[in-house]
Amino acid sequence: MRRTGNVAGAILAAAVLTAAAFSRASAQENATQLLRDAAAAYAKTSYIGQVQNVDYGSKRADAVMFRIEHRAPNTTRRWYLAPESLYGDSIISIGDTSYNVDTHHNRILVVKDDAIDDQVAQDENFGLLLHNYNAVLAPDDNVAGRRALSVVLVNKYSGQSVMRISIDAQTKLVLAKERYASSGAVSHQMRIEQIRYTNSLPAQLFSIPGNYPRVEGPQHGLSSSDLPAVIKTAGFKAVGPTYLPGGFVPVAGDVSDIKGVRTLHLLYSDGLRTVSLFENAKGAAVDLGAYTAHSTSVRSNAAQYVEDGSTTLLTWAQGNLHLALVGELTRTELVKIGSSVSS
Amino acid sequence: MTQHLTNETLQDYIHSDLSPQEDAQVYTHLEQCADCRAEYDAENTIGESLRAYAAETERELPATLKAAIWSEIRSARPSFWSRFTASFRPAMALPVAAVIAAGVYFGVTNMGSPASPSIEAAYYLQDHAAMNDTTPFSDRGGAPANLESASVSATDQQSVAIEATTYTADASNR
Repeated sequence: MRRTGNVAGAILAAAVLTAAAFSRASAQENATQLLRDAAAAYAKTSYIGQVQNVDYGSKRADAVMFRIEHRAPNTTRRWYLAPESLYGDSIISIGDTSYNVDTHHNRILVVKDDAIDDQVAQDENFGLLLHNYNAVLAPDDNVAGRRALSVVLVNKYSGQSVMRISIDAQTKLVLAKERYASSGAVSHQMRIEQIRYTNSLPAQLFSIPGNYPRVEGPQHGLSSSDLPAVIKTAGFKAVGPTYLPGGFVPVAGDVSDIKGVRTLHLLYSDGLRTVSLFENAKGAAVDLGAYTAHSTSVRSNAAQYVEDGSTTLLTWAQGNLHLALVGELTRTELVKIGSSVSS
Repeated sequence: MTQHLTNETLQDYIHSDLSPQEDAQVYTHLEQCADCRAEYDAENTIGESLRAYAAETERELPATLKAAIWSEIRSARPSFWSRFTASFRPAMALPVAAVIAAGVYFGVTNMGSPASPSIEAAYYLQDHAAMNDTTPFSDRGGAPANLESASVSATDQQSVAIEATTYTADASNR
């Protein structure tokens, strides 16, 4: 009888453990599916609302507030409300083309960005994200008066939470995001307020004003994932980092001529965070005049860095190359990557 | 010339744009016609005041004399030496152009930073953000660098065609 009781206990314990394991797997699956739905919701849901973006640097924060009118799948107008220097400006995005209505300079800057419609790259990056991050369901939230399901993305290499995403329980639209630095500090916050879902946004809302001259802005072409071909096109002996944070891989690159300077751009990503390496062999340094530059060093080379919200730009010269690293990583991490750069 | 001078003729006279014959006729007329002389003086006041300082230090030649000098210069036949050196100009242009081209080439490629343009940090930040658009949950709608600064324009930038487009991204961590 006692033996029978032991067996029953063991079976019960096994059942409980199995159920717990299934429950964890199921929760993981639910969180992953929720992320997929959230990534797709922007192209399926029309809405109007007010968005607040705050980027936290190491010592200061930059906030932007705008009204948004989004007609699915890909037509959006953003009216900037703050800061005052942007007040009255707006960006109308139609597909891969953005019209930046600059009322302060009386012009419309037309910018084309093929990457926005690059579904293949987006799918690959989503796969990379799932490869490097665990999606963990967190307690429900309430954003703009709507019930939101929360998912925390935990880096598999560092075990750190990198992003918390609050997703509308009904529409699956991302209502709020928080990104965390490696120190755990909040580095970026996005939150939608006063959201209203509607399918009756008139086309006139997205008409481009005719009273300003249009100026062609920088064209961000489709980057290539064939990095050897990209590097070959650069026309000089390119260099790359031998160290990257856990999960980061080279994902894309392109070559552009900026003011006659052929510039190679390599992008590294872990699916959520990215680092860009720019290099040129024409001695063209980075003009940091518009920012507050700080001195540091990359190995024995004098270097400078600036912070633009949560993005850091680190630049230095190495041999005949001028290099710049740009990313949402900390300066210490960028210096570590930069110090590993070799041919 | 018995009719009064038109304002247009006076202006041309003041600016020495008349032919030598016309210039001489106007000069003669102004000597004899008080009305036209008054008109001429009025028109000339502004120019005179602007040239006041110069007028104190140097004497203006009569317009007729200036016109005659210019006429002589234009009709003058080039000297033998001028024609001789002119015949060598095409032959001299080639080595001079070669020296200039060599100077530009070596200046651009070997002189380094002073001859190189700098690239605005905004360009790097924009390009990084643009390539980021394929990253899930990337931040669209932040502070737009395009609106905040005089960004790189299309005339500053030219993309370079990549030959192959097959996917060979190395999935390993370097």
